[in-house]
Amino acid sequence: MQPIRLTVNGDKHEVTVDPRDLLVYVIRERIGLTGTNVGCLTGDCGACTVTLDGRTAKSCSVLAVTADGSEIRTIEGLASPAGLDPVQEAFWKENGFQCGYCLPGMLLATRELLDEDPDPAEEDITRTIDGNLCRCTGYTTILRAVRTAARRAQHRDERPERP
Amino acid sequence: MTASTPAAGIGASTRRRDGAALLTGRARYVDDYRPHGLHYAAVVRSTVAHGRIRSVDVSGAETAPGVVLVLTGEQAARHAGPIPYFISPATRGGREVDIRCLEPELVTYVGQPVAAVVARSRVEAQSAAAAVRVEYDSLPHVLDADTALLPDSPRVYPDWQDNVVFAKTYGAGDAEEALHGADVVVSGEFRIARSTTAPVEPRGYVASWDATDEALTVHGSCQNPHQLRYMLSASLGLAESAIRVVTAKIGGSFGLKMQGLPEETLVCLLSMLSRRPVKWIEDRRESLMSGAREQIHRIRVGAKADGTITGLVNRIVADAGAMTAQAGWAMCNMSASTFPSGYRVPDCRVELRLVATNKPPLSAARGFGKDAAHFVMERAVDLVARRLALDPGEVRRRNFIRAGEFPYRTATGLNIDSGDFAGLLDKAQAAIDYPAVRELQRRRREQGRPLGVGIAFELTPESSDSPGTFVSGFDTTTVRMSLTGRVTVLTGVTSPGGGNDTGIAQIVGAELGVPVEWIDVVQGDTDRCPTGFGNFSGRSMVVGGGSAALAARDVRATLRTVGARLLERDPEACEVVDGTVRSVSEPDCAVPVPEVAHAVLTRAFAAAAEVEPVLESTRAYKPGNIDHRPDELGRIQPYPTYSSCLHIAVVEVDAETGKVDVVDYAMAHDCGTMINPDLVEGQAWGAITMGIGSALTEQLVFDAGGRLVSDRFKSYLLPRAGDVPEFRLEHQVTPSPFTMHGNKGAGEAGVGGAQAAVANAVEDALAPVGACVRSLPLTPPVVLDLIEEATR
Repeated sequence: MQPIRLTVNGDKHEVTVDPRDLLVYVIRERIGLTGTNVGCLTGDCGACTVTLDGRTAKSCSVLAVTADGSEIRTIEGLASPAGLDPVQEAFWKENGFQCGYCLPGMLLATRELLDEDPDPAEEDITRTIDGNLCRCTGYTTILRAVRTAARRAQHRDERPERP
Repeated sequence: MTASTPAAGIGASTRRRDGAALLTGRARYVDDYRPHGLHYAAVVRSTVAHGRIRSVDVSGAETAPGVVLVLTGEQAARHAGPIPYFISPATRGGREVDIRCLEPELVTYVGQPVAAVVARSRVEAQSAAAAVRVEYDSLPHVLDADTALLPDSPRVYPDWQDNVVFAKTYGAGDAEEALHGADVVVSGEFRIARSTTAPVEPRGYVASWDATDEALTVHGSCQNPHQLRYMLSASLGLAESAIRVVTAKIGGSFGLKMQGLPEETLVCLLSMLSRRPVKWIEDRRESLMSGAREQIHRIRVGAKADGTITGLVNRIVADAGAMTAQAGWAMCNMSASTFPSGYRVPDCRVELRLVATNKPPLSAARGFGKDAAHFVMERAVDLVARRLALDPGEVRRRNFIRAGEFPYRTATGLNIDSGDFAGLLDKAQAAIDYPAVRELQRRRREQGRPLGVGIAFELTPESSDSPGTFVSGFDTTTVRMSLTGRVTVLTGVTSPGGGNDTGIAQIVGAELGVPVEWIDVVQGDTDRCPTGFGNFSGRSMVVGGGSAALAARDVRATLRTVGARLLERDPEACEVVDGTVRSVSEPDCAVPVPEVAHAVLTRAFAAAAEVEPVLESTRAYKPGNIDHRPDELGRIQPYPTYSSCLHIAVVEVDAETGKVDVVDYAMAHDCGTMINPDLVEGQAWGAITMGIGSALTEQLVFDAGGRLVSDRFKSYLLPRAGDVPEFRLEHQVTPSPFTMHGNKGAGEAGVGGAQAAVANAVEDALAPVGACVRSLPLTPPVVLDLIEEATR
């Protein structure tokens, strides 16, 4: 067992982990943030996606010990006290989800894309979503949501729509 | 039809009520429940496809770190009886076997649960499970249904005389005579490989046995909480009143999480025996074992020279895998009875045999067998068009049941309520610009680039009621208003993720005359919701919505009576609108609904004198058009409504690699009145994508020993965002005369139509070389083989 330090959504945590523990389980069961989901444990579905030191990562494929000292953002950390992130608003508006299980990957990958490029090309949008499986929507509304979020990112002075 | 019902709210694309919880990670799925003292289970599974268990050595597991319980099949059988069937094969004249939560004796597939471990942590449970040593006396196994029908085949269940679970012939008229008189007869053998539903959230259960109260609480990712409670009561010998089943937020289901699976009983038994809360969440490998479909059809279709289809004979061999108490085995019934789909073919005979093999069982899957009928029927219609050199759209138009002929009884006995199938074809062809896409095809062919256009019609019988089973065609809802005017809707239908709670709230808001924001919907809790049947067969808005409307009307009547009294008006002259009771002729003469609710519930001897002071009603809704009395041919009519849709797929085929790209796609869809069009569209897009997956990439592959080799998402390939085009979706509304709001089921339509449209498009693309598509999925090697075979 080994102590590690993680900053998750701005809160500092010190947890003792087994070297075999996957980051997704440490986040879910030790930190207690269950918004990050387990879908496949092979890095294929993206339901376990978090932002790890500024880059999205599939936390089922990360050993927790290797994340010692890192800054992590989970789906719970996307909204601010002022309200939902524009990406979340766009997914809600466009019905970019049904069961919601894939949302950690869809939302955090979109946030990362728009942080890098507020006006992404269509193929970049597809490539961003391509690493995350959704079995409910058929992706049409997800791609629309990313485009809507991008449009909003380019017009930050516009107030987001009320829920 | 809909003119007499309040319109506000119904037909609006109200956005999802649970959006904030889902988008912020606050929604709780089953794996998010962690009761105090939680332990974890792992399941030991058979490593042979067929064999008798000789010994189970648990000594290594029992002494492993963290282990509190190891359970064998023999031990489990002392505490738990067989699992009741969701749909009993015996009710259909078929064969049954006892399904146990842990098999004590005869294993019939690789992966069958034979022992289980409970430990402090997931890792400890899995390690200990790996230490359980099971020895088998192997028996010969059979993995494909045609072989299983041979007289000398190994028998999956040695005390059966053969491997046939169930056989039945469907249809009417004289199909052979019709074929004899036809100008042309087309025929083919069509194979649909085994695929699976694969929701991103696997199945899972958390069981907490309270030894003091002798009460069991189960959280599960399950579509049918009341049926599960009954099943646990029967298998575990507990009173139903001692069991509470809560179906958590569900991360997709598509039929996989219908009740009847061994782990449901198993996890509860483990909790009872270990006296600890026990969680089991299946891993992806376990989840991928459940089959969704696997069939062989041998079909002959006769037609006149003008394309009029005159007769159809089809012989279906459906591969059940091993037997299951879940509903999955019964899907083949619908494959047979959905023929001849929406076409006028009075002379039709379909022979079905369901065959056991040594593969894992089928689980119910979106489409519920109807998908297979569409792949095969639509292939057959295309073969007729090709043989006669007619446009495939025109052949369909010629054979569709006409819009004025409904209700129309098909040869297999289904009584189609309503529709306009030619209208769907018009809409889909307009959406894709059919002449333009054919012109594009012509130009591409000149360039040597194969592009194909595939048309497919799809008929989706919905909201089933199957006699003598847990497939019930009605459901029940309670609407309750509190002192402050808040509304709680408790319904027997559940949501696997599609968001029918939003639709039900829209209906209640419209019927009750209150804003939708005042309404909470509770689903999937046997201690809170009225007895109901959960989610399947596109039923939730038909029967959940219908029963909610009836209950809301009762509450509205009381509000109106007492509100009118407060206004000193005649109740007949008052209405409940926008959260107020008001005079119809004097809209300013109004009292807020919360004030009325307060009066009903606190002033029973004044404002509510002579009124039963209750703002709550529980009502059931039974749609029309269901008739279980067999006709002279033994046919029953189990479906109230029939949704319909018309698909057009455009594909490009890379002749070098065999890869198929779906480059454009249109669907014209008719599910009657839409309660929430956005939710309907979302269901349709998801179903089409699932159909494209099973048409092109998804296949469960087994090795010669019956072991699943496509056991992860690297080898079982779901469509990704880059694999599907953005869909063009057109709506047509022919309201059902047999449901309260004119709605038909939505959610299943898409799978079979997409399979058929993609298959027809691939064949159309390869028409210059003369290839004939006979199987799904059309993976690159299959397509290359098709090309090679045709050009040889």
